Amino acid sequence: MEQEVNSPVIREDSRHGYFMKQALAMGEKALATGETPVGCVLVYNDKIVGSGMNDTNRSMNGTRHAEFLAIAEMLQTYPKSAIKETDLYVTVEPCIMCTAALRQYGIRSVFFGTHNERFGGVGGVLTVHSDKSIDPPYPVYVGLYRKEAITLLRQFYIQENEKAPNPRPKKNRALNTTFDFEEDDQDFMPII
Amino acid sequence: MDASTHDAPSASASMRDIVEAIQPLDGHVVPIKSIQEVNPPEGYDDAYVAEVDIKSASRVIKALDAAFPRDSSLPLNHLRRFCKRDKLPESVKQFVDEAYPQKSSMAPSIFILLGISLPDLEAVRTLLEPFIPVPRARSHSPQEPQETSTPSSPEQSPELTLFRTKIPIYPPASAKVADVWSASLWPVTFNPAASRSTVAPNPQTLNRDQKSIEPRAGYYVSLAREVALEAKQSGRGRGVGAVIVDPRIEAQIDEKAWEEGYNSRERWPQAVVAVAGDCRFARSEAGGPSQMDRHPGIAPNPACETYNSDHEGGPDLHALMRAVELVARSRREDPENEVDLAAMACQPIVHTDPQLSKPNQLSAFEKYFLYEAGSHVIDDDSTSYRPSPATSCQVSPRKRKFAQPNPEAAPISLDTLTEVELPPSTTTTPPLPAPPASDPASLPPAPQEPIEESGNALPTSRIRSRAEGGYLCTSLDVYLSHEPCILIYPRAGRLKSGGLASGPVETQKAVLANGDVDADASHLREDREYYGLHWRKELNWRALGFEFVEDEADENFPPEPIAFHA
Repeated sequence: MEQEVNSPVIREDSRHGYFMKQALAMGEKALATGETPVGCVLVYNDKIVGSGMNDTNRSMNGTRHAEFLAIAEMLQTYPKSAIKETDLYVTVEPCIMCTAALRQYGIRSVFFGTHNERFGGVGGVLTVHSDKSIDPPYPVYVGLYRKEAITLLRQFYIQENEKAPNPRPKKNRALNTTFDFEEDDQDFMPII
Repeated sequence: MDASTHDAPSASASMRDIVEAIQPLDGHVVPIKSIQEVNPPEGYDDAYVAEVDIKSASRVIKALDAAFPRDSSLPLNHLRRFCKRDKLPESVKQFVDEAYPQKSSMAPSIFILLGISLPDLEAVRTLLEPFIPVPRARSHSPQEPQETSTPSSPEQSPELTLFRTKIPIYPPASAKVADVWSASLWPVTFNPAASRSTVAPNPQTLNRDQKSIEPRAGYYVSLAREVALEAKQSGRGRGVGAVIVDPRIEAQIDEKAWEEGYNSRERWPQAVVAVAGDCRFARSEAGGPSQMDRHPGIAPNPACETYNSDHEGGPDLHALMRAVELVARSRREDPENEVDLAAMACQPIVHTDPQLSKPNQLSAFEKYFLYEAGSHVIDDDSTSYRPSPATSCQVSPRKRKFAQPNPEAAPISLDTLTEVELPPSTTTTPPLPAPPASDPASLPPAPQEPIEESGNALPTSRIRSRAEGGYLCTSLDVYLSHEPCILIYPRAGRLKSGGLASGPVETQKAVLANGDVDADASHLREDREYYGLHWRKELNWRALGFEFVEDEADENFPPEPIAFHA
């Protein structure tokens, strides 16, 4: 399901890079408000038509992931059918729920920074974007600003979650600044 | 079904009558199988079988284990180490018979399984050599019998023959599988008591919960169906309903039933903290008409009859997603809410489900259970809600301003970036002015709101607030009319549905006929995967999943003719 391809059209200095930067900015915003720093933008006709960040802590709703907020914003102005011509740029691999939702919404393609091995839906744990279903599958691409997406998450996870029923003390944790992938491994990796 | 029977009643008193008249379904509760139970991981490896002297069996084990320590990550405890010749699986027996045709002439011997991935067959041969059974008549000419007492010498000792077989590297999922493997590969044992924590929920936990929900499941599934029918007959959505129950309240009801002398069944509705119906056809996009607007007054909505993803509204409007949001919304409205919304005023609470952001968009059932069901005070009943003086009087004015007197009133919508729909009527609770959202750091302090009189405030919901330890939907149970689509992200204690949890495609085997559940995945469809999403060891959340199997099919709730996502 997954193959690595170096494609000159989807480097970080491309339009894809620009949109992922906007998604990262949403992630920063999430971090600043105490949310798991995941951000995303929806791009339709080269224009950002929706953006979202994780909002589960404040809304007290575990399903308020960035993707849902971005789609809610887009549908204020665009019909649902426009999502078929829309790409999602999200800092972290969509979770299983969002992967399924994006498929039901008919997203055209998904670009994300890094895999999520705990609950990723497009390869991290399951492959809900391409499994048998009544909705068409969609292609996904991983690796754009991977390091930045991971750093955002690390900045968050060294904090304590005081909202959790049993917060774990995490004093003295320092931000890990090493990565277990190669420096130049920044090219896009389409996952078919 | 007559649409008029599900018309929304105007007064909550009649709503209460309707709820109390709901009859539990007759049926039983069955645990939903995990993915490993339905599709057990299969893995096979090559192994070798050798014949050794039966008297040296224990010494052989010692020598082998010393020379080739077992891999603790792959203990292979389900494999028998020894096998008598007559019990050998067919594939091995065939070669053994070819190699040693004279069964009767053999010295007492036994066959040992030599683990997988053997490093060095020569080392194995050397190791086993002393234990090769000394044949009474091992030679191919039975006319030259040898004495069994003769100590083996290099000249006389027969070659050690290693037979190859395949072995299953994972334990069998059932006794049936064990039998099949024993006959075809190598004898295995099935241990139902073995720890299966990575495969399925702990059997004791599963059993205990199954027992605890069994008496009430028929009622709550029946209620979920009523909510589903209401959604369908309103034209707002497909016929899918969700019911969220707090087992703590159930326990209180049961506890008090005896001492206070009531029939706990009458109080079951009080344990329901929220219900929600599907309303996928009520979403208007880009300000245009929704599917419901396109077919005014027609129910069920004609869009029900087909699956067209453009008409489906979106998963945020599915019953379970709405129910989860109702729980969250109730917590946000709690006056004691520790999250100071004003401090986070740079962001809106985005109503991903637009139905929940408009006034008066809750159905009669939804409204009743969210705000009224628990508040009917029954004489001498400690389980029904009484407004506690602590919550109604001692709330700090600063916090009270966020208690919205009418839950259907204005959501606090503050962001210019994400323009959340504002309800037309904002007279009772004016929304806070929207500060520029661009830079949270430079935001002006949140404006002070006039303190609202909370005289007409709704009673505190039975949904536990954050201050009381309520967190997302943990420790809650959900009952669904249909198997949920793969979106389910319940963080719920337990999940019961009218169908098998976890297909991406909801083809709604709403309630399977009696006895249809134990067959190995017999009702799984070819057009979808089985995910067993309620219990996956890979995931960071798990729930117990049960299916309610009705004794008789409910003619008011026939299986859905088409596939869709519930």
